[in-house]
Amino acid sequence: MIEAKRSVAKQNWFKRHENATPLTVLVCFTVVIVILQLIMSGERGKVEFPSFITPVNLLNILMQVSVPGIVAIGMSMVIIMGGIDLSVGMLASLVSIITALGISVWKLGVLPSILVGVASSVVLEMLVGFVISRTKVEPFIMTLGAMIAFQGIALLLCNSREVVMQGELDFLKANLIDGAIDPVNGLNLTIPPYVVIFLAIVIIIWAVMKFSRFGRRIYAIGCNPNAAYLAGVNVKNTKLLVYAVHGLLVGIGAVLLLARINVGIITNGQNMEIDAIAMAVIGGIAMSGGKGNIWGTLIGILLLGSISNAMNMLRLPSEVSFVAKGVIIMVAVSASYLSPSIKKLFSSARNT
Amino acid sequence: MPLKEVLRLCNITKSFPGVQALSDVSFDLREGEVHCICGENGAGKSTLIKIISGAYEPDAGTIEVNSQVVKLDPKKAHDHGIQTIYQEHNVFQHLTVTENIFTGLEVSKLGVVQKKEMERRTREALEQLHCYFDPSTMMSDLSSSEKKMVEIGKALVFNRKIIILDEPTSSFSSSEIDNLLHIIEVLKEKGMGIIYISHHLDEVFKTGDRVTVLRDGRVISNYDICDIDEEKLIRDMVGRDASAFYNREFFKHGEVILEAKRITGNGVEDVSFSLRRGEILGVAGMVGSGRSELMNLLFGAEPLESGELVVLGKKVNFKAPENAIKHKMCFITEDRQFSGLFLTHSIARNTVIANLANEKRIFIHPKEDIALGDEYIKRTGAKAENALVQVVNLSGGNQQKVVLGKWFLTNGEIFIFDEPTRGIDVGSKQEIYSIMLRLLKENKAIIMVSSDMPEVISMSDRIIVMKDGRLVAELERDEISEESVLKNSIGGKTDDRSKKKCS
Repeated sequence: MIEAKRSVAKQNWFKRHENATPLTVLVCFTVVIVILQLIMSGERGKVEFPSFITPVNLLNILMQVSVPGIVAIGMSMVIIMGGIDLSVGMLASLVSIITALGISVWKLGVLPSILVGVASSVVLEMLVGFVISRTKVEPFIMTLGAMIAFQGIALLLCNSREVVMQGELDFLKANLIDGAIDPVNGLNLTIPPYVVIFLAIVIIIWAVMKFSRFGRRIYAIGCNPNAAYLAGVNVKNTKLLVYAVHGLLVGIGAVLLLARINVGIITNGQNMEIDAIAMAVIGGIAMSGGKGNIWGTLIGILLLGSISNAMNMLRLPSEVSFVAKGVIIMVAVSASYLSPSIKKLFSSARNT
Repeated sequence: MPLKEVLRLCNITKSFPGVQALSDVSFDLREGEVHCICGENGAGKSTLIKIISGAYEPDAGTIEVNSQVVKLDPKKAHDHGIQTIYQEHNVFQHLTVTENIFTGLEVSKLGVVQKKEMERRTREALEQLHCYFDPSTMMSDLSSSEKKMVEIGKALVFNRKIIILDEPTSSFSSSEIDNLLHIIEVLKEKGMGIIYISHHLDEVFKTGDRVTVLRDGRVISNYDICDIDEEKLIRDMVGRDASAFYNREFFKHGEVILEAKRITGNGVEDVSFSLRRGEILGVAGMVGSGRSELMNLLFGAEPLESGELVVLGKKVNFKAPENAIKHKMCFITEDRQFSGLFLTHSIARNTVIANLANEKRIFIHPKEDIALGDEYIKRTGAKAENALVQVVNLSGGNQQKVVLGKWFLTNGEIFIFDEPTRGIDVGSKQEIYSIMLRLLKENKAIIMVSSDMPEVISMSDRIIVMKDGRLVAELERDEISEESVLKNSIGGKTDDRSKKKCS
């Protein structure tokens, strides 16, 4: 009896298509980790190659992915709704410059500066979202234009120079578990507040997408906007709200980025849109909309972060790590097309 | 005088999965004549012209062009001089008139396109059609009747011998219609054979030389236009045997639940009707007569320009479907896949989406969705293992039941069914009908748009007939018959005109 129940549950889990792609990705992720671990333990004789799976290094990865991760979570919402946002990188640069200027030049104080930065991000994304939701403009083109405009505004604001700060935002990277020691190699463990913020955002947005009315409507719009409209979904306002939430996340991400780097500069958010889209897609978010979930994106974030981290530890030049990242994205996307046939293979194997 | 035959179809048969579209259809066209094809929605007219234009290949039967047996595809059909002008414009909006005519058939010398030459030939052709706009005009700047002329011009430029006009006048004013009919006379004199398909019988009588009636994919009759009048033509178009109809139970009608007073907007003009609890109000009319447009208007998907809508005793003005749902209205749309379903989502998700408009809670556990999905699968009798199955994997009938489940969950009282059984097999049809009757028994009300004549006749308590965006007739139960419905959908005042031609 219990056996039977369990097998039904198992079947459902495999059958639910939206979990299939993250599942594939999870398998890939595990394989990659194991391979990396094997490579590294093979080199353990040499001191300069530390082991990959250690608490210190895992926390390192979390710290490295926090900022792009927050942006990727926002991006996931937008893509699930059937949109895209190419402007996030330059928007993050712009927000970090505004915040840095607020602190160092305009002397607004730390908290007001942060609020101004985040608020400007929300407003700008809402402007973009307003046009996208009210017209038939392609989000791709619209946000491409926004990206270029944001870059221009940012450069104007900082006169194409960097805005240096005196570590006013250091409280965001203070160690919350001061004194904790890694049992493996005796190094100090660090969990800064921004990692906690990242994890909190993942949990909140995951809950919103899975449990809320709002989340259900986002999936519906992404899958079939016509049907969503005729089923009573306020498509325009839902889209606008998604862009607003996304703007909030980008704003938060940009402030945390500024805290890490301590300099407001145009290159801060460079290529962040690419990373964010890649993380979402690797996590099984379909570019066509309506499919995927946030925990898939989390896997995508960790996977991409682990690869970069491992490349660093293996002392591979960054050129190589670009190649590796690119290949992984392509494999992940193809996997989502292959997964139905892989599933078929699994089920036929089970039946015989 | 006997005219040369330019096209002959012999015993053409064509079937699609689940539908016999054409069976044993023979048809011929002589040069210099207009041969009209008449029939209800779904009689097989479109399939027939698609076979002549080479878009479909017949399952059996032969096609002869100029007494030679040919096999057609769209390219070959052109080579044999067949030009099809479809109801919807098949034009490139962002190209010029000349480019539209010569697309794929450019005149070139040594690989260089001869623009001057092409424009000259275009201008010549347009002048024969009494059109005097410049050949370099953008297609998007032309009116729909001018676009039609460009398509006819293409036939002249390439000296095509057979022209198929499918509902050419659907968005024309009456002077544009007269102009077109005049042009057709010109084309006839040039020896072209014209196949003319129209829902407007007065045009058929004005321009036609012969008429062929199709019904359920068969040729019913073929007349010289002089030997027939409107009454007789309509009788041929209808006239099924009793087995095609369903017997349904009738219920006592309750109070008026929805009332439309002179509503206008979205191509619908000045429509008034009322709907009572416990009845099915059928909405008949030919495709394009404004039926679906009226439904979109009622449901708030398109804005009301003027008029008044009273739902459940309250005057309403819906800004969006959201408001209509809150007023207990449900809309089962014509095209399930395009506007009814979330194909890649599970049944559970499809079931709960519409009721979100009534949902007060902000957070709902997905387990509830699944439980509701399972419950409504049972209620509607959809055949699916459980509510986690993706809708795309279901058959048409079961997909329709998922749509119904979605609306049942909203506790709606007024159901708008737009083509409730399109693309659904016979068994599921019966089930959908019994679900509709169950709704009536629960004292709810139904508005049903249908192009399926047996369906609209046997299921409706009352029928309103739409034509050109207006309500032209309201038929009580004892007045409903195939003739009365069809006559109001397509009839015109034709008596003196048809006589004129034959004298």
